[in-house]
Amino acid sequence: MRNPLADVTAPVLDDLIEDDYVRSLVVGVVGTLGALGLLGLLFPESIAGDLAGIVFSTGTAASTARLAAPIVLAGLGGIFAEKSGVINIGLEGLLIISAFASVYIASVVGIGNAILGVPAIWAGFLAGIVASTLLAGVFAVVCIEFKADQIIAGLAVWLIALGLAPFMSTVFFGGVNTPNLGASVGWRYSAVMVVVATAGSWWTLNHTAFGKHLRASGENPKALDTVGVSVSRVRYAGVLLSGVLSGVGGSALALSIGQFVGSGETMVQGKGFIAIVAYLFGNYNPLGTLGAGVLFAALDATQIRLQQLGYAVPDTLVQTIPYVVVIVVLALVGRTRIPAAAGEHYETEE
Amino acid sequence: MNPAVHLDGITKRFPGVVANDDVDLAIDRGSVHALLGENGAGKTTLMNVLYGLYRPTEGTVVVDGEPRSFASPRDAIDAGIGMIHQHFMLVDPMTVWENVVLGNEPRTWGGLRVDEAAAREAVVELSERYGFDVDPDARIEDVSVGVQQRVEILKALYRGAEVLIMDEPTAVLTPQEVEELYDVFEELTDQGKTIIFISHKLGEALSAADEITVLRDGVNVGTVAAEDVTREDLAEMMVGREVLMEPATTPREPGERVLEVTDLHVEDDRGVEAVSGISFELREGEVFGIAGVDGNGQLQLVEAITGMREPSAGSVEYLGESMAGATRREHIDRGMAFVPEDRHERGLVMSYDLVQNGILGSQHDPPFASGGRIDWDASAAHAESVIEAYDVRPPNADADAESFSGGNQQKFIVGREFERDPDLVVATHPTRGVDIGSTEFLHDRLLELRAEGRAILLVSSKLDEVQGLSDRLAVIHEGEFSGVVDPATVTEEEIGLLMAGETLDDGSVSGAAIHDAVDDGLGGGGLDGTGDGSVEAGEEGVDA
Repeated sequence: MRNPLADVTAPVLDDLIEDDYVRSLVVGVVGTLGALGLLGLLFPESIAGDLAGIVFSTGTAASTARLAAPIVLAGLGGIFAEKSGVINIGLEGLLIISAFASVYIASVVGIGNAILGVPAIWAGFLAGIVASTLLAGVFAVVCIEFKADQIIAGLAVWLIALGLAPFMSTVFFGGVNTPNLGASVGWRYSAVMVVVATAGSWWTLNHTAFGKHLRASGENPKALDTVGVSVSRVRYAGVLLSGVLSGVGGSALALSIGQFVGSGETMVQGKGFIAIVAYLFGNYNPLGTLGAGVLFAALDATQIRLQQLGYAVPDTLVQTIPYVVVIVVLALVGRTRIPAAAGEHYETEE
Repeated sequence: MNPAVHLDGITKRFPGVVANDDVDLAIDRGSVHALLGENGAGKTTLMNVLYGLYRPTEGTVVVDGEPRSFASPRDAIDAGIGMIHQHFMLVDPMTVWENVVLGNEPRTWGGLRVDEAAAREAVVELSERYGFDVDPDARIEDVSVGVQQRVEILKALYRGAEVLIMDEPTAVLTPQEVEELYDVFEELTDQGKTIIFISHKLGEALSAADEITVLRDGVNVGTVAAEDVTREDLAEMMVGREVLMEPATTPREPGERVLEVTDLHVEDDRGVEAVSGISFELREGEVFGIAGVDGNGQLQLVEAITGMREPSAGSVEYLGESMAGATRREHIDRGMAFVPEDRHERGLVMSYDLVQNGILGSQHDPPFASGGRIDWDASAAHAESVIEAYDVRPPNADADAESFSGGNQQKFIVGREFERDPDLVVATHPTRGVDIGSTEFLHDRLLELRAEGRAILLVSSKLDEVQGLSDRLAVIHEGEFSGVVDPATVTEEEIGLLMAGETLDDGSVSGAAIHDAVDDGLGGGGLDGTGDGSVEAGEEGVDA
């Protein structure tokens, strides 16, 4: 008799292992952490010891989860948009707008109150998702209906949010930074959302008809059109999903602290762009994106802890690591395969 | 019994053009019907009407005795009509079965999950029923063009197509794959399917179809049974006048050596070797033809010769001088004309008018340039002379290149290059997309250049073209010449074998055409019967 388990596990393993590149990414991260742990155990007094202490502490895990949530979730959203053929470089803007909207609505409802049975903080969370999805919807209409250049429109999304969120904060709270809500969403929630969203995205892309249509829409939209599936609808769905996922990420980022910080590049600080890096690094695979996002977030978290311990780590240099990585990955490794029709408008005949 | 499809008085007007004019057409179930005509005759428009892409201005589509009005291809598919476009509508990185079921995926888990097992099963079952040899799990980008075409057919069958429309189905196939396609036709019609294919090739209409309908200028000129007509009849129906089928070649008198290519290796954009050690020479007054399935290194070979790509090894000598390191402009200045493969990318600037396009490549030289300025009067006169001589329509030099049809763009490019007063013409697919009447003219012009003592390197995937025009014919396969043959004596089957990378049996090919270009692999293989394999190019026509 055939092993019934083989039928279940084999395809999953195949899909995971099929992408050599993602596998080597995972092995690399795990290997580095292992080596660091070993060095830390052998030489507890050295910098390796300090590093290991940081990397394997709960505090770092918590701050990694907090920092990783917006990167991974926006990255997953970016996969859906770009697989459908719409390059969404406005992820940063979606994170900013949802970060602000979540804190604003939570404070309007008031911590301790509830609306329709939903506690204020979670009402804020949902509001962040709605705000991000609405902005993504505008972006989708501009790109799909009016055929605007996707890169320009994406930049506009970022710049609008970058201007709008601190402005509204000033209007409602009298400063670019909102007061602290005095309540927050714990990092374990962020971690769970990241894992669930990653698994869900992976399954959707690989095993649903929608996933196949997304891929066809980004690779050869005409093929999809000629079999009677509307390319526009698939692309709208892809972009709106990027809005929903980025909204979760942005809300999680702001509500994990309980405050929106709107000075400078806002509290999002380029995480939306690092999200793009993460999914490119992850080769459009949600699991790879998770790995890359967690790696970048962990680097940032470690850097912050090292500063606190008195090591003079140049934080601006550490923050450039994701960008350096993506250039190396795109230029030297060249394994990332961009959907063939990404960035191109599609118009049905007659 | 009702015909499978009846097009009743179809007229389709576009602004300013009548593409189909009151076309009547009835197609029997289980038959193969060829729709023959020149470019712009309205074949594709008519089929797009049948497939629901266009709505007819007048007339009705009757499927299986029932009048239908298709708002979209979806309706046509539901009525059992499938279309296989000339450019396949497949998603390259997806597998065969994913492509076949795309848009109609069987579902499980309450519609949430694609039922992969059922989908594969359906694809396997279909391909077995029709005798297709297709691996359902192969990725489209990894399989041959012939297999891709079968995947397209499977797609239509999976959707329940009873009538299959195929647009120029043989355009991308090797002769062997064409034979296999004909077998597929037979298998399909045996099982009651009806096939309509669009073509402008007389030969394939005659050999594959039961009935042939000829369209000219949007009008149905007539429907005939394939066994009752000859090529000449069909050509006359298509063009509306008598056509000379064979270009009139005269014995050549090769002169000085113009081009010598020695052990040339060229890499493509990805750094993969596309040309692996090709050698040949070309003399004045000679046409050297290169046949082969597209993508076997022709492009890179031609690019290396014309100075657009640096070879990784080997040499190109032109008029006795090495061309190593010479820029593209130096190639042009030394009298090398080039008809590129892709007219949009390299032949024309689409947003320029024909006056500007006409001086491309000569923009530095008198009479078009003087003292750093361009002489637009001289340029316009030049463009107009090319337009007139090469019958470019509409004859408007001030119109942008993109406003012309593909065939007319091509005529203009060929005209510009041929009139450059070249010593060497490198022509890739010079008649691609050009109708029979104009093709005949371009061929004549090419032979005139040859008679004037110019050297011509002709690359084409049209077998009758390279075979009819060349003095010597090389067949390229995976970057190597799988054979250099005498086009006068070689058969189409033999060329087909060479195109597929096979070697020929001993003695099956006349040795006259072979010279030192034959690569090692072949010299030791099938072409041994050709004597020592190094007959000089000048000694033509002597059988080994």
